[in-house]
Formats: sequence, structure tokens, C-alpha cells
Amino acid sequence: MLGSALAALALGLTTACGTSGPGADSDKAGVEVWMVEDASVNEVVQSAIDTYSKNAGIDGELVTYVNDAYKQRIQVALGSPESPDVFFNWGGGNLAQYVKANQVVDLTEAMEANPEFRDAFLPSVLDVAKIDGSYYGVPMQGVLPVVLFYNKKVFKEVGVEPPTTYSELLDLVDTFKKEGITPIVLPGAQAWTELMWLEYLTDRIGGAEVFQAIAEGKEGAWKDPAIIKALEMCQDLVERGAFGDNFSSLTSDNGSASTVLASGKGAMYLMGTWEISNQQEHNPDFLADGNLGFIAFPALEDGKGDPAAIVGNPSNYFSVNSDSDNVDEAIDFLVETMASDAYVEDLIEIGHVPAVAGIEDKLAETEHSEFTTFTYQLVSEAPSFTQSWDQAIPPAAAETMLTNLQLVFLGDMTPEEFAEAMEATQ
Amino acid sequence: MTSATTRVQRPGALWAAPALIFFGIFGLAPIAIVAGLSFTTWDGLGNPEWAGLHNWRTLPSDKLVGSGLMITLTLTVLTWATQTPLALAFGAWAAGPQRIRAVVSTIFFLPLLLSTAAIALIWQALLDPTFGLPAQWSELTGLSANVLGDPDLALWAIVFVLLWQFLPFHMLLYQAAAKQIPASLYEAAEIDGASPLQRFWRITVPQLRHTIIASSVLMIVGSMTYFETVLLLTGGGPGTATRILPLHMYLKGFSAFEMGYASAIAVLLVAVGTGLSLLVVRVSGYSQMTSEREGV
Amino acid sequence: MSTITARPAGEQAESVTPARSAKRSAARAGSRRVSRPAYGAGIGAAIWLVLVVVPLYFLIATSLRGSGDYLSAGPLSIPEEITLDAYRRAFEVGFLKFLTNSLIVAFGAIILVLAVALPAAFAIVRSKSRVVRIGFTLFLLGLAVPAQAVIIPIYLLITRLHLYDSLTAVILPTAAFALPVSIVVLTSSLRDVPSSLYEAMSLDGASNFQIFWNLVLPLSRSGVVTVTIFVGLNAWNNFLFPLVLTQSMDTRVLPLGLWEFQTQYGTDVPGLMAAVVLSALPVLALYLFGRRQLLSGLAAGIGK
Repeated sequence: MLGSALAALALGLTTACGTSGPGADSDKAGVEVWMVEDASVNEVVQSAIDTYSKNAGIDGELVTYVNDAYKQRIQVALGSPESPDVFFNWGGGNLAQYVKANQVVDLTEAMEANPEFRDAFLPSVLDVAKIDGSYYGVPMQGVLPVVLFYNKKVFKEVGVEPPTTYSELLDLVDTFKKEGITPIVLPGAQAWTELMWLEYLTDRIGGAEVFQAIAEGKEGAWKDPAIIKALEMCQDLVERGAFGDNFSSLTSDNGSASTVLASGKGAMYLMGTWEISNQQEHNPDFLADGNLGFIAFPALEDGKGDPAAIVGNPSNYFSVNSDSDNVDEAIDFLVETMASDAYVEDLIEIGHVPAVAGIEDKLAETEHSEFTTFTYQLVSEAPSFTQSWDQAIPPAAAETMLTNLQLVFLGDMTPEEFAEAMEATQ
Repeated sequence: MTSATTRVQRPGALWAAPALIFFGIFGLAPIAIVAGLSFTTWDGLGNPEWAGLHNWRTLPSDKLVGSGLMITLTLTVLTWATQTPLALAFGAWAAGPQRIRAVVSTIFFLPLLLSTAAIALIWQALLDPTFGLPAQWSELTGLSANVLGDPDLALWAIVFVLLWQFLPFHMLLYQAAAKQIPASLYEAAEIDGASPLQRFWRITVPQLRHTIIASSVLMIVGSMTYFETVLLLTGGGPGTATRILPLHMYLKGFSAFEMGYASAIAVLLVAVGTGLSLLVVRVSGYSQMTSEREGV
Repeated sequence: MSTITARPAGEQAESVTPARSAKRSAARAGSRRVSRPAYGAGIGAAIWLVLVVVPLYFLIATSLRGSGDYLSAGPLSIPEEITLDAYRRAFEVGFLKFLTNSLIVAFGAIILVLAVALPAAFAIVRSKSRVVRIGFTLFLLGLAVPAQAVIIPIYLLITRLHLYDSLTAVILPTAAFALPVSIVVLTSSLRDVPSSLYEAMSLDGASNFQIFWNLVLPLSRSGVVTVTIFVGLNAWNNFLFPLVLTQSMDTRVLPLGLWEFQTQYGTDVPGLMAAVVLSALPVLALYLFGRRQLLSGLAAGIGK
């Protein structure tokens, strides 16, 4: 047994002998694309790469990693010999840190040389890849705003309508509590879900400029009264029992939160539009019966913010690595594919709402056309699309923010303390 | 016909050389580099920048370092207090000859086959407040179903999951060692009229002294460095209630990308962990070269 | 007091059959080693058995569910419809390739560790050299090092050595970090060999190498078995090193493969559970198959 083991090992080692890294040994020009693992989108990108490679006569390759693994991987790889030509990122602060380290190619020139390409994208989405006035990335998948989902069946049974104003929301909280239903599902074990509440409330209270100041690193930006008020409102919701007793151990990753909504134990759920694929996966009947309702985040009566403003993930972006040996090919690949009809249609087919102008008709023919059309209108009519704060600010500050936000929701930290702690990271 | 000089053959340092060199390259050199990194600021991109004592000055004022250390030490004590007695008892029990013990201990061994991700996911689902076991016992007993989200209960939950995860390994150590205890010792004790419990305390436990120490050292330094279960089960939450120091280090390094600062925490962890293990070794006299079997 | 304490009936039956071999009588004598009718431990073991079995049941039951209803029915319920869909997804994702890679890494690490740790343990237990004593302290220091802290220097090292994206790149640090524990276990096991045995061999004119080959290796069997299990499982489940040091599907190992089921926004839990079951099966098979050798290795003590 030992002998055969050694033989297998020897065989394995010889076939697995390493290289000095990827991209080091190809003579043919190539474009290597790195992105996050997402089965359906990966397929779309793969076919785009294949088509482009064939036409341009180069080698194209797609490498994928799971979410957290991807972030670590790219951090270590950029600047090292084993790096991609094109890489996936979240725009905003996430992209900005790479730009600061001079790892990203400026695409402004390419944009100006191809104005139809630039104009094909929704400005609010494209602008998230604009750092210091220059373009560094191109949207590569659908828009993902945060909306308020609700269980239509539960609403009908209790006899209420979805909220269009915040005071209506508060009334609903009381109503559902009396019925023994958790008014709002909040997977509080993962702080980014609590962040969505903070983001929307801040925007409604003080407008998008409040966070804009933070993203720009302005002094005192975190102490804006809008933020304090928003945090107080969050704590108010917790005290009213809006999120139930167990929100701090509820998770979204394993489908728990989605199922709480689908099973009728919870009435409303503030979540990104990707939630529809979660529901498809975990509770297909709920979706098929047409019981998943969706509505924009309610307006705040005396708030300064525009009620049509939205928050969420504008999109994800492809950027070009400045260390790449194939910069021209990489740029060409992006310009040729990212707004092309084929690519856009492929994205629509997998249920995404691409960040591209003029696709209403195509969306009307999709499986969940009501939802996709709603999403598209929401985004194209939004005066501002604020990026998820944890992607927009530097990672160090984001980590602190998420930890402290959880403490606020648990009642272990006051809004003022939160502001102080965040100011210290500016 | 042996010569008058009977020199006892002892292996020289050369025997340990391959291990030392190999470990030196892949184990120690990186430690030195990390120590160096603790004097820099680096976000993983580009080059580290010299920062002098900046990270070290930040350490004491970082509240999470102090609380992280406290929680880590608490967890270490709780883990040791739950795992050692059980591993010792079950290990000795499993060393017995009865057939059923062998079957049962095979089942006990199964958690070892699972990766941390699997174990954490399984328990996270089992402890889900709406669909898991807490929801069901909450209906029966009225106790809170909010296990992983309660700052007090969460740590106990982690102690339990770690117990589930690592008990088989330590049990295996004790089982292997217990099987080597010579029967003659027990026979003599039986003849002297010792009860089973007395035999356990007077013979089994002392004979397993080395194993207890080895197992305890592993447990202690394990608690100082192992955080994957906590990361996947609670993420350090609720809030920061279970944010053990190694997890804090990981989040600072790979979530906040403050690798210089994370390296400083790493150095602190290494120092505390090593200090503790050396203490245990010194106090228990492990480094003495004697065996319990001398003269048997 | 009678020496015939409460022995299980099975023992009585065995002692009746004739033709005892030396092993048999040793086993019978062994029956008195730990004769513990301590019912406390028995009950405790029963409780623990339940605690172990319940999550394992959950694991298997979930892997047989459709992803639609895995939550709402309650974790311990019997699946309404048993489907092998999750397993199919696991294979589609490339499970066999991951399995092979993991096997190579595990074997490589085990052999590497044993090859350097056994001589080192021998030296630590028997040598009077100062270098060795310092070396032992260094290994103890290595126990306290978190792999996550040194992953970046290791990445730099591996790329400099042109080993990036190979299974060797994973084997080397895995083995290196398993070394301290292995040495602790092996020295513990070797310490129980009485000095008199070493001295006796030495007096007979044996060289160090002969002592190592003829005395140390056979008598350290239980330690070797423990180390093999520890290093093997460690290499099997290790996630961080393969993550940073490999890239292509060709070198992907099982833990990374498991993460194929976790997307940015959610987890395919039944698929993940199926993959976990599949990845545990080879190890389980090995254990069941090699159990006899495992037990004899463990039992090979020096009791009379």
C-alpha cells in the first residue's frame, strides 16, 4: 500500500510541478480575466471572452474565485507577477484603493475615443467607476439596488397595503407585531444588512450629499446630524420590536432570512435585488405563486433627501491592470464586448438588469418582467445611486463601521459614539 | 569480548537537521518577516512602508485588543475545562476491550472527517433561531431561541461547537496512550482491592501524564491561534462578544487590509501563546527525559 | 477479593475456546488493563453518542434534500423527497479532480512530515546536544504561530521558488506547520521507551541508525499513526494555503471546491452538504479499511 502511494505521489508531483506564475509563458497575446464566482454571470463572461478571442486571434481566459477568497486573492496578486489583465471590482472605494496604488489603467482616453460606448451606460452607474475625474472601470453586470420586499400573501391576509411613507411603515410594524408576525426580517448576524437601513435613512433625512462627504474623506463628515438621526431611528425600530427578538442570530447566507419572508413568519425585507435569485433557489413556490412583492424604500415626510434616490450596488466593474502585458487587447476587449447587444442580451437572459440605456423593451420579455422593469425604472429615474457604504470607503474603515453598527443595533453603542469612532478613521 | 569503554550511542544534532532546516525556511523565516512587517504599514498592494512603532503604540489603545485577549483567555480556559476531562474519560473508556466500545468510538471519530466550514455550517443551521433546534426548544421551555445572537450564549455555543469538533482528536490521543498502560499495574491494584474509580485516579491518570500535558499544550496554543470556527459561526459577533484575538488579527489583516497592524497582533499572539506553552511545559516538568515506565 | 470482577459475558465465551496464540492471551490480559464497569462513563458516552449522531444525521439528510425546502421543514425532519440532485451538482463541479488533488497533498504532507520528524524526535529524546534542545524550543514556538499571519511571506517565498500554482506549493507549508505538533506527539511517544532499551542496544554495538531503524521505528508506531491522522486531516481540510498558493482548476483541492457552492449572496446548502459527505467518504473508507492496522498500531505498546 505504501509503495503504490509513493508511486501515485511521484506521478502527482511531476504533473503538478509549478510554474513561476500565470501569464509568464505565453507567446501569444492573451487576455486573462479574473472575477468572482457566480455561475450564471461567469457563463456570460466566458462566452464573451470566447467570441472575442476567436475574432481577435488571441488567448482569452477566465479565472474565478468565491467572494471573500476573491478579495484576498486580488489584493495579494495585483503588483505581483501572477496577476490578471482584466479584473473584477466593486468600483467606488474598492477601486479607488487600487487606483491609488497605481495598479489600474486610466480608461478615459478610450472612452473619449468611443463615445457611443461611453454613452451606452447609465451615467449614475458609470460614475461609480470614476475616480478623481477619470474613468477606471466599466460596468460588467446588472444593477443591484436595494428595495423593500414584502410577502403579498401576508399583507392580504392582514388587510394592509405596502408602505409608501415611513410613518406608514411604523404603523405596519405595530400591526404585524399584534398578529405575531415579525414585521421586518433582518439578518443581523451579518452587519451589511443593517447597513442598508442606515444608508437609506441617512439618504432620506439629509440627501445623498451626506455620504458623499464621507466618501470624499471630509473632516467631520461622520458627525453629520443626519447620520445621528438615522442611527437613532434604527435603534427606535429595534426597540419597537420591528425586527423581532432573534435578529442578531439570523443569517442571510444560508437562506434563513429569505425563508422567514417566504414562509410568512416575516412581512417585509429590505434587501438587494439579488434576493430574487435567493428566493428562486430556496423558495421557488413562493416566487411562482406571485407572492413576492417589491416596492421602493418609503419616503420620509420631513426629509431633505429625494424619495427617488436609491442605494445598493450600482454594478460590478471590470478594470485593466496597469502591469498587464496586454493592455491594448484588454481595453479593446472591454470596449467591444461590455455594451454589445450579445453581452447585454445574455445578461438579461440570466435575470440581470444591465446598466445600459434603452433596454426597456428587452426587459419586458423576461421571465420576471414585472420585477426587472420595476428595477430598471427605479435605477434610470434615480437622481442618485449611492454605493453600498462598505464598498465605497476604504476597507479598514469599512471593517470598523460594520462592527460598530452591529453594536449600535444591539444597543451597546450610542449613535454619538459611533460617529466619534468613525471620525477617527477618516 | 566487548571493549572496556561502553559508550552509549546518542544521536547527534544531524538527526534533527532536516526538520530544523525545513521548518526554518517555511516556519521560522516567515515569522521573522511578520515581525518585521509589524513595523510597517501595508495594505497588501505595493510595498510596505516603514512606520516605526506606530502599530505598537496603537495596540494598547485598541479596545478590541484588550477585550479580544480577555475573550481568548476565557475561551481557552473553558475549552480546556470541557475538553480535557471528557477526552480523558472517553479515551480511557474507549481503550477498553469490549466490542461495543470500539464501535462507539468509531462513531465518535467521525467529526474529525469534517472540515471546519462543514461543521460551522451544520451548527449554524441547527442553531438557527427560526428553523433550528432553538426554535423548537423555545416553544417547549420558553427559553430564548437567540443563541448565536446573544452576547452571553454565543460564547458557550462556540465552546460547545469546538468541543464537538476537537474532542475526537484528543480522545484519540488518550485512547492510544491508555492502551499502552500495562495490565500488570491494574492487576496489582485489583488484588489490593482498589475500586474502578480508584484505579482510574491512581493509575490511569498518572500514567497519562505526558499525554495530558501534550494534549493541554495543543489545546492552549490552539485557542491562541485557531479562529476559523468562530469566524464562520458568529463572525466575532454579536457585536464583538466573541471576537477572539486571532480573529481580530485576521479581520484587521484580510478585511481591513491593515497588514502591518495585523502583524503586530500576530506577534503578540505568538508571544502569549509561546509563553503559555512554555509555562505549562516548565511547570509540569515535561522536558525531563524520564518515562513513567522506568522500572516496570 | 476475587480477581474475577464483572467481566462481560463475551469475555467468558472467548476464554473457553482452545488454541491460544500469544496474541490472544495478550488480549485477554489486556482485558484487565482498563476494566471499568464505571457506568458513569458509559452513560456519558451514550449522551455524547447522541450529540455526535444528530448533526451527522442533519448532514446526510440535508444532502438528500432538494434545495427548495431544506429550511422550512426543520433541520431534523425526514426529507420529504429524497433526491440525489445535490450529489450530481457536486460531481458536475469537478469533485473527482479536487479529490485527487487533495489526496496528493495529504500523502505528500504525511510522508514529508514523517521523514523529517521521526529522526528529529529521536534526537530530541536521546541527544544531549544543545543545538537539539534549542531546536525543540523553536518547534514549541512554532506551535503558537497562526498560519494566517505568515501567509504573505510564504506567498512571496513560493513565488520566488517558482512553485506557484502547484500542489508542491501547498504541501510544503502544510507540512512545515504540522511539524511542531507532530514532533510533540512523537517525542511524547518515544519518551515512553525506557532508556534501558536504548542502552542495551548500544551496548550490543548498535549504531545510531540501527537503533533508529530497529527500535525507534517499531516502538513509535502509535505516535506515527497519530501523526499520520493529524497531518492527513490537516492537509485534507486546509483552506488558506491552497487559496493563496494555487489558482487553476487543475490544482484545486476539496476545501476550495466546497466553496464553489457559496456565491456572493448565498449558499447552496444541500450541494455543499453533498460535497462534504463525498469528501469525507474516502477518509472514512481509509479509516474503516485500515482500522485493524490502526488498532494494532495503537495497541503496540510495551506492556508485558
